[in-house]
Amino acid sequence: MRPPAPDQAASALQPVRERLLRSARADAEELLARADQEAGALLDAARAQAAAILDDARKQGEADAAQGHTAELTRVRRTTRARELAVRRQAYEELRRRTTERVRELRHTPDYPAIRDRLTRRARRLLGPDCEVAEHPGGGIVAHAPGRRADCTLDALAARALDRLGAQTETLWAP
Amino acid sequence: MTGLGEIEYTAIRELRGPLAVVEGVAGVGWDEFVRITLDSGEQRHGLVLEVDRGLAVVQVLEDTAGMDPARVRMAFAGEPLRVPVGSGWLGRVCNGRGEPIDGGPPVFGSATAAVGGNPINPVRREPPAEPVLTGVGVVDALTTLVRGQKLPVFSVAGLPHLELAAQVAAQSTAAGEAFSVVFAGMGLTHADASFVRDALEERSAAGELVLLLNTADDPVIERILTPRIALTVAEHLAFGSGRHVLVVMTDMTSYAEALREVSAARGEIPARRAYPGYLYSDLASLYERCGRIRGRPGSVTVLPVLTMPAGDITHPVPDLTGYITEGQIVLSRETHAQGVYPPVDALSSLSRLMRKGAGPGRTRPDHLDVAAQMLAALARARQVRELADLVGQAALSPADHRYLDFDEAFLRRFVHQRLDELRTLDETLDSAWQVLLTLPRSQLAMLPSALLDAHGAERG
Repeated sequence: MRPPAPDQAASALQPVRERLLRSARADAEELLARADQEAGALLDAARAQAAAILDDARKQGEADAAQGHTAELTRVRRTTRARELAVRRQAYEELRRRTTERVRELRHTPDYPAIRDRLTRRARRLLGPDCEVAEHPGGGIVAHAPGRRADCTLDALAARALDRLGAQTETLWAP
Repeated sequence: MTGLGEIEYTAIRELRGPLAVVEGVAGVGWDEFVRITLDSGEQRHGLVLEVDRGLAVVQVLEDTAGMDPARVRMAFAGEPLRVPVGSGWLGRVCNGRGEPIDGGPPVFGSATAAVGGNPINPVRREPPAEPVLTGVGVVDALTTLVRGQKLPVFSVAGLPHLELAAQVAAQSTAAGEAFSVVFAGMGLTHADASFVRDALEERSAAGELVLLLNTADDPVIERILTPRIALTVAEHLAFGSGRHVLVVMTDMTSYAEALREVSAARGEIPARRAYPGYLYSDLASLYERCGRIRGRPGSVTVLPVLTMPAGDITHPVPDLTGYITEGQIVLSRETHAQGVYPPVDALSSLSRLMRKGAGPGRTRPDHLDVAAQMLAALARARQVRELADLVGQAALSPADHRYLDFDEAFLRRFVHQRLDELRTLDETLDSAWQVLLTLPRSQLAMLPSALLDAHGAERG
């Protein structure tokens, strides 16, 4: 077969060339459009992520600030409460001290021998008639029997009376 | 506190570890409270562990260190330990035997009560009803705590059960009615004790909290007293002054170990894992002190926390606790590993009395339906996950994929909450709805159509 003349071949390939070119352009446009779309989506996602990060950071910051505030409030509350309780304890200890002192003063009253006799009788009831009874320097008596002891001192009496006070003690600080 | 006899015994035969043997005693009984006075005037306390003829074995609460047997006096109370009861306890922080550690005076009360207490007479019991809202979403929604209920938390070492216990103690309320919390910490480390104090500071300052802290280095016998003192105080706050009281007791395993130690010291025959044979009845004597009394306002709700050694739910402590209590909240290692707090395993958790405390007129009309649907969906999600392990995720149906998404949303958007976050019931149930609506409507068959429409479930 005889080959076509060069100008004939060129004109014959023209539609193919055009078709290829059109197709390549279309592909390129589609690719571009897709790239634009993807870039847009990526940008949107990045913006959304940035917004979320900012939002989280803001929330975290607020939470941290609130936590700091709460911690400070807790510290203040604890200090105030500790002071209040310490003052109550002082008042209670003062009551114990004064009560014990007042009961000790019984030693110098005319009734003291009678009180001491009553305490001795009580000790003998507790430990038996053979127990040894000794006067305590602070007032009252202490009785001893083998393996046993009865504390009938004025201090012990005062302590027992205070223990019996129970909730009445709270009137020291109750409004 | 307990009034003591006037006779003091001085014939101490020997001191051995925390034990003191006293001779020549008369009329002394088991569990009697003892005051021990040293020559220096220092006072310690003890409990009678055993009595045989004239000999009494006393366990010294503060240990016998520095005591000279020839210079010690012991006075017996003639009865087990009694504590003052009343509102004087509110706002106070005490050690495990009820003595203040907050720098204040002793706790006073208008009356005293034996810490041994008595469980409520069954005839006078009122069934538990109405909820205690904890502000912890997953607990309120799926295992609602009911006033008068005993609901334990089963955990393992390393999980944030103390954080959960403290959060529940800090946030719980009873629909605006007078509410108090008694927190009994047993065998806590000093760091844990300090955490609890911080976490509950606000409630303590508001005069709604009694905090009893027995630390790990405190004597074991004191650990046995701690929950009893807590419950005694709670009973009087509840039934004496009409409050709803939540008693949080943690860690009950540490308590049971103390019981084992004391039992061994008494020479009792050991039973399962060397715990005493009466472990069941002993635990019951604590747990059964919760409830409500007919004709009286107030309630005692108990939330014991226990750690399962090596995660073994058949260990005697969780096992016996499970027999007595009304459900359980189980914490899971897997959920914790996913960074979710509180790591509640919803499918293993259950509040048997939930129906008495949740639903129309109690919480919200849709509560029980939402909870039932949530658990059903979780069960299906678990099956799907197991299936995916076998056949791979690619082989799952679209509906199955939705269940996996639901499971993830359940953990991240519903269960997970901050340690200091108080979630209202409405917030909790609304977020439950949001999570449920990640599933197609066809999968939400346990929810009435009207509710689905109202919450905008997708059609079709």
